[in-house]
Amino acid sequence: MFGNNRLPAFHPGLTQSRIRDTTTGSGLWFPGLRSPPLPSESDPANDQLPLPITPEDLYDTPMAPFNPYTYIRCPCSELNPYTKRTPDVTAQGLSRAAQDDDDHTFDPRAARSNYSLYPLEYLSFCEDCHQIRCPRCVAEEIVCYYCPNCLFEVPSSNIRSEGSRCTRSCFQCPICIGPLAVNHVETPPDPNQLLSPDHASSSHSGSYVLSCSYCNWSSTEIGIKFDKPNSIHMQLAKLRNGGETRLTAKERKERRKEQASQGGGGGSSTGQGEEDLDTLLDMETQFANLKSFYQNQLSDANGTGKVGGDPSAALGNLGFDAPASLSRIMSLYTGSSSLHDKKSKSRPGTMREALAPSEGLQLASLDESSAITALQDFESTTGLDAYSSTASTTQLQSQAPYLGASPLHGLTRFTSSLRPIPYLLRTKRSKRCPQCRHIISKPESKVTTTRFRIRLIAGNYIPTITIKQLIIPGLTPPPMPNLPPDTIEPLKPAQFVLTFKNPIFESVRVTLATPATTPGRFPAKVTILCPQFEIDSNTDVWEEALKDNNATSSSSQAQNLSSSTGPEGSGPGGRKRAGTLRPGTAGGASLAGEELGPEVGKVWERGRNWTSIVIEVIPASLVQTAKRDGRGPIKEDEDVLEIPMFVRIEWEAEAPEDEIMPGLSSTKGGNKDGGKEKRELAYWCVLGLGRVARTL
Amino acid sequence: MSRRPPRGEYIETDTGNKVARKATLVGTQNIMLGGKTVIQPDVMIRGDLARTIPPAQSASGGPANNTAVAIGRYCFLSRGCCLRPPGRMYKGVFTFMPLRLGDHVFVGPGTVVQAAQIGNHVHIGGKVVIGEFAIIKDYVKVLDGSVVPPNMVIPSFSIVAGQPARIIGEIPEGGIEAFELRDLYKTVGNNPQPTAP
Ligand SMILES: [Zn+2]
Ligand SMILES: [Zn+2]
Ligand SMILES: [Zn+2]
Ligand SMILES: [Zn+2]
Repeated sequence: MFGNNRLPAFHPGLTQSRIRDTTTGSGLWFPGLRSPPLPSESDPANDQLPLPITPEDLYDTPMAPFNPYTYIRCPCSELNPYTKRTPDVTAQGLSRAAQDDDDHTFDPRAARSNYSLYPLEYLSFCEDCHQIRCPRCVAEEIVCYYCPNCLFEVPSSNIRSEGSRCTRSCFQCPICIGPLAVNHVETPPDPNQLLSPDHASSSHSGSYVLSCSYCNWSSTEIGIKFDKPNSIHMQLAKLRNGGETRLTAKERKERRKEQASQGGGGGSSTGQGEEDLDTLLDMETQFANLKSFYQNQLSDANGTGKVGGDPSAALGNLGFDAPASLSRIMSLYTGSSSLHDKKSKSRPGTMREALAPSEGLQLASLDESSAITALQDFESTTGLDAYSSTASTTQLQSQAPYLGASPLHGLTRFTSSLRPIPYLLRTKRSKRCPQCRHIISKPESKVTTTRFRIRLIAGNYIPTITIKQLIIPGLTPPPMPNLPPDTIEPLKPAQFVLTFKNPIFESVRVTLATPATTPGRFPAKVTILCPQFEIDSNTDVWEEALKDNNATSSSSQAQNLSSSTGPEGSGPGGRKRAGTLRPGTAGGASLAGEELGPEVGKVWERGRNWTSIVIEVIPASLVQTAKRDGRGPIKEDEDVLEIPMFVRIEWEAEAPEDEIMPGLSSTKGGNKDGGKEKRELAYWCVLGLGRVARTL
Repeated sequence: MSRRPPRGEYIETDTGNKVARKATLVGTQNIMLGGKTVIQPDVMIRGDLARTIPPAQSASGGPANNTAVAIGRYCFLSRGCCLRPPGRMYKGVFTFMPLRLGDHVFVGPGTVVQAAQIGNHVHIGGKVVIGEFAIIKDYVKVLDGSVVPPNMVIPSFSIVAGQPARIIGEIPEGGIEAFELRDLYKTVGNNPQPTAP
């Protein structure tokens, strides 16, 4: 279950990389995106469909509930992380590395930290290197491509020929990006016909449209209707806005051939059509014309060789008009070396440029009057600001390249001419360890299955840490009045319970370290009351699972099968606390007088495979510090109290049958009995405890 | 043992469903619960909106049931959410179609679901609208306040947000365990278990 029913908020040290979930005001993290994925408020398209902007979205209102978080630093952010370890990878070597880390405290708010801190669920684990791996350092390989709408797999050969979009009938709305459905254009229904099933199909002589059920956009707005409800992609490619059909390159070629065979004195009516065809070049045609023109030029140059004697030939070899450079450029764009004639390689020469539309010449149209008229017309007819008739940057960016568009200055700038967007394909990807190249994650290649062949996630190797503020009635001083809920008072000690849950089948020994005061602008004093402790092994899982299935819901038996948020449900009996036995959670308050506060050097509470300890912090006063240090007002999220913490875990594992792999951070203890070996893993993490109140 | 305290907040069925007495289930004969599902107070399930046209291939062996809403195991329907079968014109006649939820589906408070199908391990936040005939596959997270347009298909491992909703991220490999709702199931009912320390 998710804490607070949403994804764990991710606040890398600095706020620039934070992605605001506008609906909750909490940060949301995911790889590969450095800018808000949600529509921005300045987007005119969204003015029509406004997002609810709540006070939580705006800065300076820390009303959104704060979810404490733990982010873990991947070792790839160390300088030369791999070379450092390669020569001698022993426990000593590692602890020396750790020593280095201790010397210069990790600053979670440093600019670099943005790139190395991850929530546990985003981290993988390489069993061979015995190290944490993050989305930044793993190597991804595409397992398959598929359309996110029709969920059909697309072979990679198609990607090369057709591009990375679905070529079936999957489209998104150009206005709001909602899915488009193929609908039959409703004709006045004939009740006799509609009910008889055999007429149902035959009477559909009409046409189909793509329509958006979110914003009601329809392809009729750009004058496009389809003859049949399937393979819309192919039909759309042949249709210009307005419904005019467009000749494909092949058809155009054939038509030209026909005309050539008919001779120059052909019918005047077809001549007229040819004129239009050639002056209004769309991108595909222009490219085709240019290509054939240059092909002819090349073969002419090679065939006759008469340009070779030109005195400017030596220089011409460098320009775009040189056959060699031309064929090189052409092969870049056509993806083949068909133009490249080996004989021509050494032959210098120049060629003339295209002079007519039939050769690919397209004169730029700099006349903007039609666009201006369109803007004025829009204002006069609708009474709305003409700006709203123009397409936003996001709308233009999401448009798929359309070969039928006129090039250069002909690109659309109005929402009224945006075309349906064929869905971009998605991928399933496997991940490799960057150092040893072993696969650490591999999904099943079938699109519809969600299973993994390999899934080495860090959560199965390193303890989860959950954070909860410790409030003992009677012991914790009452909070200041008028303090926003869930905030930490400055200049006063606050205590937090850190619960470590062990996922592995061996008990582990944990050693924690923090700097005495946190780095950064608003230093807080930090004390870990119990920096060394053990967590029992996670052995009873199957036993517990069986119990879980048999026990009735009202059973008070401790159980815990699979949770990731933290240790769960150990009944009153399974839970021990230093000092005094804690009464049941429900009745905690009644025995408050007998409760003891946390003691130095003692764990706070422990259960089957978890141990909790207490950390005490005294935050600085934000307001006073900001006044004094002259570094301006408190920036967004600077009020979040982040504690860097170094975690070292040690355990004894069954030694593998074969010799220790190079790169394994373990040593075979000589005096160890029966194939046990000592292992350890150390890493930095950052604890986001809460927001410090902006009081004096 | 003395008689149980007068009526708890929930009715607990033999299959482990916990249905709040204050939930509104209309047309219960058309609502299927897989077991161990929690239905909180003020939830509304419109089982009465069953299809009016029999399924096309009912002759080919399928049981001629008329389920309007089918819910799998370990689903959690939060306070104030509404499950409503989608409806459309079919051969000139308006009919409702069944709404199916898989296992471990969390539906947040105040959310309206009119999907055709929600897969397994799906987390739908609060105040979300899932439009008619939307299809949500397994391991999908819909963030609070999203409006999923009608007919939208959301593939597995997607994080979805916005109005209209779009895919804004992927569920990481390590994030799939968090969809498990067994523990949440135990924290509600007439004898709720304490949550994590
Ligand atoms: Zn990394
Ligand atoms: Zn598709
Ligand atoms: Zn739309
Ligand atoms: Zn490795």
